[in-house]
Amino acid sequence: MGILGEKKNKSSLSTSPCANLRIAYHTCFNKWYAEKFLKGQWDREECVSEWQKYRECLAKHLDDKHLARFLEADGIEALTNLTDCATDTGDS
Amino acid sequence: MVHGRVEIKRSPESIMVRAYSQEHVYKHPWERVTSASWRKFADPENKRALSHILEVDTLNHKLDFATGKLYTTRAITIHAPGPWFVRKIVGQDICHCVETTVVDAQSRSMQLKTRNISLQKFIEVEEKIRYDPHPQNPTAWTLCRQETSIRIRPLSALAKMAEKVEQKCVERFQQNSAKGREVMERMCKYLEAESRGIPI
Repeated sequence: MGILGEKKNKSSLSTSPCANLRIAYHTCFNKWYAEKFLKGQWDREECVSEWQKYRECLAKHLDDKHLARFLEADGIEALTNLTDCATDTGDS
Repeated sequence: MVHGRVEIKRSPESIMVRAYSQEHVYKHPWERVTSASWRKFADPENKRALSHILEVDTLNHKLDFATGKLYTTRAITIHAPGPWFVRKIVGQDICHCVETTVVDAQSRSMQLKTRNISLQKFIEVEEKIRYDPHPQNPTAWTLCRQETSIRIRPLSALAKMAEKVEQKCVERFQQNSAKGREVMERMCKYLEAESRGIPI
């Protein structure tokens, strides 16, 4: 794969163990976004199994990959309280 | 060097802020431009142009079935090498950012907000991007508005240097957003060709 081949190993922060699952999820998401969501079919979630597999992999690599910091930082409000983004003025 | 014993002055007057905004018109419909925005980091073709982006992971997403709003949070790892003295002070040249996106399919708007969650004691960068149908040609063109604000917290003894760093930072962000636009244009062309069934 181009993505893996070209990766510059500048850090140990890579979540590349999940790269294939990430690609699978993003491919599914992009298709759903263009073909369903944008055409008004937003009543049903898709790519659920791709998402679960990818998410499980990310969770497994959180500790050693420093990604936990994303969850600890203010990202967490976004994660738990995403509806607030819409009205957030950005001044927190 | 001052390693580990740096005292950070947090008085408000020691924070320098710089903000700038820019606009760009894509001669592509909003649907195509926002599709391109989702794909720009993932596409292997763009890896070279966006080589400062090391990793992009989706952390969460939520779809509001009633309103047609899609909320997404992504983690972005950026390679941002600065001058040597910055590396010395900061100790790393990797920056972690969180990007939150809201797409409103009904009103046709996409809003992205990205900010760094690492190195915050030195610098805070917040970038907001909005994609809306262009008022003069809403079905065929898209208006992109981008606002970036950079706050530097200079160490008292290093205030002058910090000013230089800030300037570098702004330059770098401008370069990167120019690269980002090129990539977006390319992705849009690709999607246009794809939608017409032309093999690439």
